Amino acid sequence: MIAYTIRRILIAIPTLIIVLTITFVLVRIAPGDPAEVRLGDYATKESVEALRKEMGLDKPMWIQYLETLEGLFQGDFGRSMLNGRPISEEIKRSLPYTLELTLMGIIFGAIFGIPTGVYTALKRNTLSDYVGRTLSLAGLSFPTFYLGILLMFAFSIKIPIFPVVGGGDIHNLADNLYHLVLPGLTLGLIMTAYVTRMARSSVLNTLNEDYVRTARAKGLTERKVIYKHLLRNALLAITALIGVYAIVLIGGSVMVEIVFSRPGLGKMMIGALKQRDYTTLQAVMIIFASLVVFVNLITDLTYGLIDPRVRYK
Amino acid sequence: MMKKTKAILVTVFVVGVLLCLGASPALAAGDKVLRIAMDAADISDIHPHFAHTTQDRAVVHLIFNGLVRYKTGDISRFEPDLAESWEVSADGKVWTFHLRKGVMVHPWKGNPGYELTSEDVVYSFQSAANPAKSGFAGGYVGMSFEAVDRYTVRITLEKPMSETLFLPKVADYMGGLIIPKKPAEELGEGFRTHPVGTGPFIFKKYLPKEKVITVRNEKYFRGVPKLKGVEVFFMSDLSSRKFGLRSKELDVIEGPPSQPWVEEMQALPGVKVDVFGPGEAGVLYFNVTKKPFDDIRVRRAIAYSISRDEVATTIGKAIAAPIYSQIPPPQTGFLTRAEAKLRGQQEGKDLLYDLDRNKAKKLLAEAGFPQGFTTKFYMTERGEYAIPMQNVVAQLRESGIDAKMITVDHATYHHNIRADMNTIVLYNCWRASADMKLTHFYHSDSIVVTGKKPITNFIHLGKVDVDGDGKVDSIDYLIEAAREMLDAQGQRALWQEAQYKLLDWCVSYPLFIKRFTYARQKYVDWGYDLKSTLILSPQINELTSISK
Repeated sequence: MIAYTIRRILIAIPTLIIVLTITFVLVRIAPGDPAEVRLGDYATKESVEALRKEMGLDKPMWIQYLETLEGLFQGDFGRSMLNGRPISEEIKRSLPYTLELTLMGIIFGAIFGIPTGVYTALKRNTLSDYVGRTLSLAGLSFPTFYLGILLMFAFSIKIPIFPVVGGGDIHNLADNLYHLVLPGLTLGLIMTAYVTRMARSSVLNTLNEDYVRTARAKGLTERKVIYKHLLRNALLAITALIGVYAIVLIGGSVMVEIVFSRPGLGKMMIGALKQRDYTTLQAVMIIFASLVVFVNLITDLTYGLIDPRVRYK
Repeated sequence: MMKKTKAILVTVFVVGVLLCLGASPALAAGDKVLRIAMDAADISDIHPHFAHTTQDRAVVHLIFNGLVRYKTGDISRFEPDLAESWEVSADGKVWTFHLRKGVMVHPWKGNPGYELTSEDVVYSFQSAANPAKSGFAGGYVGMSFEAVDRYTVRITLEKPMSETLFLPKVADYMGGLIIPKKPAEELGEGFRTHPVGTGPFIFKKYLPKEKVITVRNEKYFRGVPKLKGVEVFFMSDLSSRKFGLRSKELDVIEGPPSQPWVEEMQALPGVKVDVFGPGEAGVLYFNVTKKPFDDIRVRRAIAYSISRDEVATTIGKAIAAPIYSQIPPPQTGFLTRAEAKLRGQQEGKDLLYDLDRNKAKKLLAEAGFPQGFTTKFYMTERGEYAIPMQNVVAQLRESGIDAKMITVDHATYHHNIRADMNTIVLYNCWRASADMKLTHFYHSDSIVVTGKKPITNFIHLGKVDVDGDGKVDSIDYLIEAAREMLDAQGQRALWQEAQYKLLDWCVSYPLFIKRFTYARQKYVDWGYDLKSTLILSPQINELTSISK
C-alpha cells in the first residue's frame, strides 16, 4: 500500500506541472497587467515599467516559467504581485477555511444523504421514494450561491441565529464552527442531493445480489440483512462516489466562500484573477489541483479499508 | 449498540449547540468598533503612496494625515492638518509649511512612536516623488523639499502653481499622505501591509481576504477618537453585505450605484442611506483616429442621438445627474448648462447637443451614412459602466447606429482601452483637479500608446485634425497656460475655454455625474455633514461615533 501511495504521488507530479503550465500561459496571454492594476490610473509609464521589472515581468516568458518551476520544486510559491506578501503565508491562512468548508459539506452530505438514499431505496416506488428523489433532483439543480443566499435570509435575518460575515477565528473553535454552519450546510445540502441519489442506486443494485437473498433465506432479521450485508457492500460504491463529488465540492466552495465572505482559497483565487496577480493565481491553482489528486488518492485507499478484496499493486 | 450511537449523536448535537451559543456573544452589541464592508475581495495596497482603490483609501485614510486636508465631508475647502499654517512666495514658487508640534507617530512593532518632524515630511514627499516608491510620482515632478528647521518644511517649485493646483498635492490624498521616515525605512516592503502613520486610528492587523483591523490612537492630536476601533471588511458580494447589515454584523456597507438598491435600503428599519459626492463623471471619448469617428459630423450625430436625462435615469434619479462639461461639478472650472448654452448662442453654435434624432440622422446622411453604421468596442462587465452604456447603445440604435459591445472583465477593459483598441470609450472617474482631468484625457503627452507619458487621451487630441480644417487641433496651450496661472479667475476662464473647444469639436461627450451610495445603521453618526469626500467612501475619524 505504501509503494502504491508513493507511486500515485509521483504520477501526480506531471499532472501538477501540466496544470501549472496551462495556468501560467493562460494568465499571461489574457489582457491586463499586474503592474498597471497595482499602480492605477495615476501611474507614469516609468513607474509601471519599474514595477514590471521589479516583478520580473520584463523577462522572456520562458525564463519566468523556469523560475516559477524552480521555486515550486523548492517549495516556494513566491510573493504576491499585488501586496508583496509571501504566497505560502496566504495559503497557510486560507487553506484551512476551504478544507473545513469542504469537509463540513461532505459530512453534512453523508449524514443526510446516506440514510435518505438507503431509505428511499428500501421504500422503492412509494410516496417516500418519490419525495426523496424529487428533493434530490431539486438539490442538484440548485445553484450553490442561491442556496447560500436563501439560507442566509432564513437563518440570519428571519431567524437570526447564525452569522453571515467571514469565517470566524480559525484559532477559536467555537467561533469558527459558528461561522461554518451556514456555508457548510449550503455545500452539504448540495452534497446530500448527490449522495442520496447514488446511495439509492447503490442499495438497489445490492438488493438483488445473491448474498442478500441468502441472508434473508437463512432467517436473519431485516435489520441485520441491511446493516451487516447490504450496507457494507453498498458503501463501497458510495465511498467512491463521495470522493468524486468531494472534488465537485472543492469547486463549489469557491462560490460559497464569496457569498459568505470566507477568506478561503476560492476568494483568494477570484481576487487574484481580477487583479491579475499571476503568482497567487498559479499557486492557488496548484493547490486546488493537489487537493483533487489527494482526494482521489484517499478515495482509492479507502476502498481497501471497506472491501478487503481490494489489493493495491 | 443503537443506544450508544444515539447517545453519541445527542452529545454531539448538544455540544454543537453550546459551542454556537458560546460563540454568539462575540457578536453582541455594546462595543464601539465600527465595521464597514467594502465592495472588494481584498486590499490592493495599503501603502498610501500606492493606494488607489476605494477599499485601500478607506483604510489609509484612517491611519494617515496630510499637511493640509480637505474639509471633512466637503471637498470644496482646505483646512490645516499636520501643518498649522503655511505661506507662499509672491511668485508662487516657494511654499513654506509650519508643522503642528506634538503630533505623534503611531507605535509599531515594539517601537513606541515618536514626534513627527520636518525630516519625516521631507522624506515622505521625496518618496512620493520617486517612481520606484510611489504610484503618484508624476504629480511631484519639478519640486524640491527641504527641512528648514524641526517644524518647518519648504517646497520649491520649478514653475509657479496656484493654490487650487498646489494644495491637493500636499493634502490628505494620494502622495500628500505623510509617511513617517523611521517606520517606512525599518519596515521596508512590510510597510505595504503594515502602515504606520499619525491618524486617528492605528493599524493593528491585516487578515488577508477578510479585513483590516485598526484601533483608536489615544494620542491623536485632534483628540481621542470616539470609536474604539474600525474594522474594514472586504466583501465583494452585494447580498452578503446587505445581509451583514440587516443582521447587524456590519454597521456600514458600500452599495452599488443603483436606484432600486437605494430604495430597498431606505425601506429597512434602522437603516439610513448616504448618497454623496463628488461622484464620478461618466464621459464618452471618441477615438478620432478610427473611422468613422474622424468625421465631426458622425461624432455630433452620436451626441444628438443620446438623451443624457435618460442615461441618468437609468442609473437612478437619486444617484446620477446629467453634466454638460468635461470637468464635472462641483470641481473648479466646470461649466453649467446655462454657461454652455450662452457660449453656444454667442458663437452661433450648439454646445449642448440635446437629444435630436432628426438632426442626428441628417448629420449621418451628410457624412455618407444615411443608413447608419456599425462599430464594435470593448466594455467592462462592471455595472456602473455596463448599465449606462447599454442605455447609450439602445439610444444609438434609434438613429441607425449599431454599436456592438464586447463585454470583458474590468482589468481587460482597462488594458484594451489603453492599448488603443476601442472606438468609443466610456470612462467614469473623478480627478483631483481640472488640470489633472484635462491633462490626463486631452493633453497630447497623454495619448494612449504613442504619447510621451501615455495615460488616458483615448481621443488622440493634440496630434490630429479633429474639425476637418486640415490643421492639428489641440488644447495643450490652454492647459499649460492655466497650470502656471496664479490668478484663480483667470485660471478658471482658461479651463472653461478649453472645454468650449472640446464641446465644439465634440471629441468627447459628457454624460452624467454618478454619486456614491452607502447604507449604515442609524446609530452610526459620522460626526460631520457628509456632502463629498475624495476617498469615495465615508470618512471615519475622531468624531465618528456609535450610539447604541
